[in-house]
Amino acid sequence: MRFHQTLLFIIHKISGQRSENAPYYLLKGKKSGQTIQDVTYFQLHAFFSILPQLSKEDYDAAIAELINGNFIQLKESLVHITEKGIEALPQDKKVLLNGWQYRGKEQIFWKRIDLVVQTLSQFRANEKKFVPNQKDLATQHFVKDYLIQHNYREFNLSTDIKREIVHLLENPLLDDLHRTLFIYRLSGYKKAGLTWEQLTRYYQMTDLSIKISFLECLHIMLDNISVETNPRLVDLAKDIHIDTPLTDSAFKTNSLFEKGYTMDEIAKIRKLKINTIEDHVIEIVSTNKNFSISTFISKEQVERVLHLSNELHTKKLTIIKDRIPEVSFFQVRLALTKGEQIHE
Amino acid sequence: MNKLNEILQKKFGHASFRDGQQEIIEQMIDGKDVIAILPTGMGKSLLYQLPAYLMEGTVIIVSPLLSLMQDQVEQLKIIGEKRVIAINSFLPFQERELAIRHLADFKFIFTSPEMLQNEQFNRALKNLSIAYVVADEAHCISQWGFDFRPDYLRISNWLHSLNDVNVLALTATATKDVVEDIKNTLRMNNPFEYIHSLDRAAIAYEMVEVENQQEKMNWILGRVTSTEGPGIIYTQSRKKTEVYAAMLREQGISIAYYHAKMEQSDRILIQQQFQQGQLDWICATNAFGMGIHKDNIGQIIHDHIPSSVAGYMQEVGRAARDGKQAIASLLYTSTDVEHTFYVAMQDFPEEQDIHIAYQPEYAEVEQAETTTRILAYWKERLNEQETIQLFKQIKQKKWQDIQSFYSMIQNDTCIRRQLLHYFDQTLLEKPAHCCSKCRLDVTSVLRKRKDEKNNQDRLNWKNRLNILLPS
Repeated sequence: MRFHQTLLFIIHKISGQRSENAPYYLLKGKKSGQTIQDVTYFQLHAFFSILPQLSKEDYDAAIAELINGNFIQLKESLVHITEKGIEALPQDKKVLLNGWQYRGKEQIFWKRIDLVVQTLSQFRANEKKFVPNQKDLATQHFVKDYLIQHNYREFNLSTDIKREIVHLLENPLLDDLHRTLFIYRLSGYKKAGLTWEQLTRYYQMTDLSIKISFLECLHIMLDNISVETNPRLVDLAKDIHIDTPLTDSAFKTNSLFEKGYTMDEIAKIRKLKINTIEDHVIEIVSTNKNFSISTFISKEQVERVLHLSNELHTKKLTIIKDRIPEVSFFQVRLALTKGEQIHE
Repeated sequence: MNKLNEILQKKFGHASFRDGQQEIIEQMIDGKDVIAILPTGMGKSLLYQLPAYLMEGTVIIVSPLLSLMQDQVEQLKIIGEKRVIAINSFLPFQERELAIRHLADFKFIFTSPEMLQNEQFNRALKNLSIAYVVADEAHCISQWGFDFRPDYLRISNWLHSLNDVNVLALTATATKDVVEDIKNTLRMNNPFEYIHSLDRAAIAYEMVEVENQQEKMNWILGRVTSTEGPGIIYTQSRKKTEVYAAMLREQGISIAYYHAKMEQSDRILIQQQFQQGQLDWICATNAFGMGIHKDNIGQIIHDHIPSSVAGYMQEVGRAARDGKQAIASLLYTSTDVEHTFYVAMQDFPEEQDIHIAYQPEYAEVEQAETTTRILAYWKERLNEQETIQLFKQIKQKKWQDIQSFYSMIQNDTCIRRQLLHYFDQTLLEKPAHCCSKCRLDVTSVLRKRKDEKNNQDRLNWKNRLNILLPS
């Protein structure tokens, strides 16, 4: 999916409910209560944290282009998708990203595979002295251990890795753009990879679109890597999948809940505001379906909120709270978060 | 065969020493302080690398250029030296902690002047047996140097805190004043001085005055499309690197731009493409060139008057490492002096900035990072008026430098002679192809470009993978 399409897709989901900046924080992976709860409310897991380097200038420029092209509108500080925008949505294209799951860690996988291929390529050419593309020591140490474990001196490793890369890339979810980007970013003996700029020029696409395609490729590869089909590459994907996709702070709060502390006690122990702990609860509920919310809100209240949200086609807190004054904002957020999980 | 030559061949793979190398190394092994001035590409690194294998203890290399440090570490690793590390702000906290706890495991420790202020690191260094300390790019120590780094001045106190350790100061550019500054700051004791001629006989100089920017573009277009590279075009703005590159690419030139704003991964790839010959030309700001290992660069083009002779020498010095004839061309207009001064002064603290820095609530005010660091240093040493005075002097010096560069290219005297004169050196032997003041015949220096169209092949991922990992 191209960058503008991605943006339009996100806006389609939050149309009339959030400001035009909400997608920016989502793409950047902002770890605020609002952004994390929106991921669940609007089912935007795919896009969370996919472009941590995105600049506000580039983002604003893209929004302006969508407005000028009449694909979206801003009304009362909310962003709306237009009919033209709906028509322009990517047709039955599967979302290939999995931002919520990888959170930028796919880059670690990339660094490892880049260095492994570069090293093996140099060794195949009998040129063992070379400057590694990847400079960080963690990657270098990891790859060194990996190569030793896999008996890099044997010819097999290089052919196995090649076969496994081809296998992963031939996944029908990917197209030739993905495959080409992945392979041409790699470097080897006397063949330095191509820069983003060179690739954007070749494909006549924007930098952001190219990078999104590249990410899609990494995510699909990681989704499909397994011991059975990729006995060599699977080790490079070690510790890439996030088991508990919680922010560090929410993780600490969660541990305290597990020990039986109440929200007030946790706030006191951690010297945090109650609002922050509420954000953590939302985050925990977003990621853990089994987390019980019965101490915060009754079953009946959840149902009332969800019913109203459905009836009014809104996820705006103020509208719902106005109609059910006895529930708190926190409870509305909690109900909406839980509600999305029931729909899943 | 003596010990030195044996190590030179076995460890470094060279058959013989270059001018001065053996002398310097012998002095170091004898326990003398050494200050060595020699042009880039003349084997500076060997001077601190080789003696390490004949001496006990660890070598500490202090370098103000973080980007270069990475490269120096890599170069040592390439010759098989594993006991090497760069301890600087780029190293993630945990790895740094680990390294500091095991300092004695390393033979070579590269570090920055800033890092020497770190107490924990310092304590660990004091328990270390140090073979000698190397001050790389030592001209940065001098406030008169074109690259003055105030943090580097703090090395003086640091050296004092170590007991009687030998120092090797290395630089590719230093005037007499700068050499004196270096000696004092590094507390050097009657050092052995080695000054290599900074002349690069294989580089011819060509100065071309044009009317305006458009003429510069036309000139570059004509030159690059008709003659052979590989080459570097230096310009002053990031935007211009992109504009020139696009213009030349349209003519079928294999070229890329390079500047500090690019992602690190892309900068690495561009460097490698250029080194491997996949690119013929690079159009860059002065961010490009440090740690570039390419010996067949045939042309360096500047589209502006550089802000210092020293910086200019470093940039043209990247040509002709293989000793084959190369040419450095400089295009300028009469208004370039003002423009260059403006560029050079962009980050320079004004009187107002200095005044603010001396106010008690200074911490609240935001200033450019370099400004803050420079001012913080002087604030500890001088009062407000003295600092203002000092910066006036430095500013004036800068203006003079640029002016004198301009008059150097305007007058009728040999460029080569004048460049050397700036470093208080004299020209011993004028090469056949000297400079535009000495009736240089440009056509005899340049090679005609073979008219090969650089049409980009279609990308084919399976083929490419087979090339990377052949069956």
